[in-house]
Amino acid sequence: MSLPNEDNMSSHTQLASHFFEDLLDSIIVDVASECHRIARLGLDRNLEDEEEELRLSTQARVRAADPSNSSETNGKYVVDIFGQNHPSVAGEVFDCMNCRRSVTAGKFAPHLEKCMGKGRKARLKVTRSSTAAQNRHSRGSSVSSYSPYSNSTTNRLSNGTPGHDGEEYSNGTLEET
Amino acid sequence: MASNLNQHHHHHHHPRINGQISPPPCPHLADFLSRNGSKPFLALQDCLRSKPPGGRAAIRRDPSEVPRCVSCGDSSRPRLYACVACAAVSCHAAPSPSSSHAAAHAASYPGHEIAVDVDRAELFCCACRDQVYDRDFDAAVVLFLSTSSTTSSSSLVPASKPENLRKRRRVDYCPWSPDIQERILVGNGSSRLDCESDQKPWGLRGLNNLGNTCFMSSVLQALLHTPPLRNYFLSDRHNRYYCQQKNAKNDNNNARLCLACDMDAMFSAVFSVGHAPYSPAKFLYSWWQYSANWASYDQQDAHEFFISMLDGIHEKVAEKDRCKSHSQGHGDCCIAHRVFSGILRSDVMCMACGFTSTTYDPCVDISLDLEPHQGVSGKAGPAKNHHSCNGNTDSKSSSESCGISSLIGCLDRFTRPERLGADQKFFCQQCQVRQESLKQMSIRKLPLVSCFHIKRFEHSPIRKMSRKVDRYLQFPFSLDMTPYLSSSILRGRFGNRIFPFDGDDADGSNEMSSEFELFAVVTHTGKLDCGHYVTYLRLSNQWYKCDDSWITQVNENTVRAAQGYMMFYVQKMLYYKVSEKQVS
Repeated sequence: MSLPNEDNMSSHTQLASHFFEDLLDSIIVDVASECHRIARLGLDRNLEDEEEELRLSTQARVRAADPSNSSETNGKYVVDIFGQNHPSVAGEVFDCMNCRRSVTAGKFAPHLEKCMGKGRKARLKVTRSSTAAQNRHSRGSSVSSYSPYSNSTTNRLSNGTPGHDGEEYSNGTLEET
Repeated sequence: MASNLNQHHHHHHHPRINGQISPPPCPHLADFLSRNGSKPFLALQDCLRSKPPGGRAAIRRDPSEVPRCVSCGDSSRPRLYACVACAAVSCHAAPSPSSSHAAAHAASYPGHEIAVDVDRAELFCCACRDQVYDRDFDAAVVLFLSTSSTTSSSSLVPASKPENLRKRRRVDYCPWSPDIQERILVGNGSSRLDCESDQKPWGLRGLNNLGNTCFMSSVLQALLHTPPLRNYFLSDRHNRYYCQQKNAKNDNNNARLCLACDMDAMFSAVFSVGHAPYSPAKFLYSWWQYSANWASYDQQDAHEFFISMLDGIHEKVAEKDRCKSHSQGHGDCCIAHRVFSGILRSDVMCMACGFTSTTYDPCVDISLDLEPHQGVSGKAGPAKNHHSCNGNTDSKSSSESCGISSLIGCLDRFTRPERLGADQKFFCQQCQVRQESLKQMSIRKLPLVSCFHIKRFEHSPIRKMSRKVDRYLQFPFSLDMTPYLSSSILRGRFGNRIFPFDGDDADGSNEMSSEFELFAVVTHTGKLDCGHYVTYLRLSNQWYKCDDSWITQVNENTVRAAQGYMMFYVQKMLYYKVSEKQVS
């Protein structure tokens, strides 16, 4: 398809083409002006460092995928850095703080669970009300123009975004479990 | 074998004011300023126009003016400049001198070299043919933009900062060595530990798995080597004997439960001589008592444990001082918050009128979503309609371009303006109705230690199933948090003007405290239900793998290739803040 030239274009197409070029030029200058400012003011991000980190990670993954290098990543240990060897179930013996009986380390947790009567039933998870800033607004609640602390009076160590599994689903609505 | 990234030349070494380089003026601008001062720039304020919400500033004598070049009458050129001296508008185009009427104007009238781009409100030197910058002009533009959309000025620079943001004088770090008297004192009051010649790093010890407790030991390993936390406990700042004694006096059995005491015991044990793995049994016992409301023992998540633990330390340590309320951000309440607590800023801007409401929230970590799966069905399209506020250029991070998920990418998305859709209309105080809004997060105050949690576990109550996202996430060993600070985000929103935005430190110290180094990575392998947590620690630039009882040395590549779940970064330079309390 040949490039449109002035001769075979209708005046409408010419005009449209002219406007388009003007718009395009304007947008290009927008970007140039913004980038110029960012560069001159020293606000640009250190892309070189970022790219270097990326490159190192890619390299690392290639090496990790190589079977001859797998000794480090596999779970098979012979000795640790102190030259020690450890059984799969920790063998240290001590007294349970709850019942005073002698327990093996590797079996302490299940023992303690029974000992403290916690039970294995999956209980409803009480989530820390993670009404974090991210969530609060999406619920459409009215927010004061300036509040140094959260509105919630409950104990809240909020995460940046709801950190708890199951609290936020991908469509952005908050579901409480 | 550390990669020497930091040898790269940083702009950061140039002198900065308010976190920005103030570029020196070109000779023509300098001349103009010396002759006229900045009054002409301030006078331009009357000609600034913008369209809410968040439109960029333009220069028009009259709101309906169509600027035309005085020489050729053209109004369609992409660049039209109004002379600051005489207000004549001229066009400026490609390099050839004949096509720039602006340059011709400057050549004809000495002193008329400085002009302003009518559509972009940028200063231009027609003689140098280059964009130039002036602090006073920028300030005028910012103030105009903030008042035109009647953003409450508190969102730019809060009139009264909350207590937790009040600046304290910084004191530079200086290393300490004991003098002779102190040596004697230390010698008399302590028992020496034998140093081995083949020195493995102190505190490097396995943690015995007590029965599916790797969710706990992985986090504990990271905490044992969190520098400010480690220093706190090893400096005897929470003495468990003293604490227990005090609790015994209260005769309250419950008060004997103190997670900080158990931490203290753990630090003492782990940092003593010996290589045998430590069993955090007492800690587990205490934590279970504390977290009685938490999910059952079966499936435990390392991140939930982390949050719970910090909470536990806070509750017990801050309990005594009732005036310190629970959800603090300044970290004066307890060591847990002192180390991990930061402040997030959330801005919600009404799309109709531009009014922005701002809130601050403390946080002890940042939970990040992995990117939605790349290249999948139609839904993956940019639902985030990135509103170009004031022409803010949104640069894609390098990793996104090659399709790899990265921590930087997640942080970019975390701080990106997000359109709250029609179903999430926000009540605008100015419009007095619910309007569609734009929301943007940023970090007002960085903690000493930043913990990033990657949301790899998805639960769907609808489908009643959960799944784990195994996708690889690249994370850097050195991290610069500057682009995510509130000052940077705000600055970007206002066209990157030279102006002290909320969070800018006058002494430019922000740039120092924005650089972080990775020191611990908690990874998860395996399925959701039966996975395994492992922690990688970086000590003296050597990486170690902490897999329950097993401590092994690994190459940094192993760490880079690992599946990060929680990443711990510490500020490169830790300052000492001048204590507000008088020494008794």
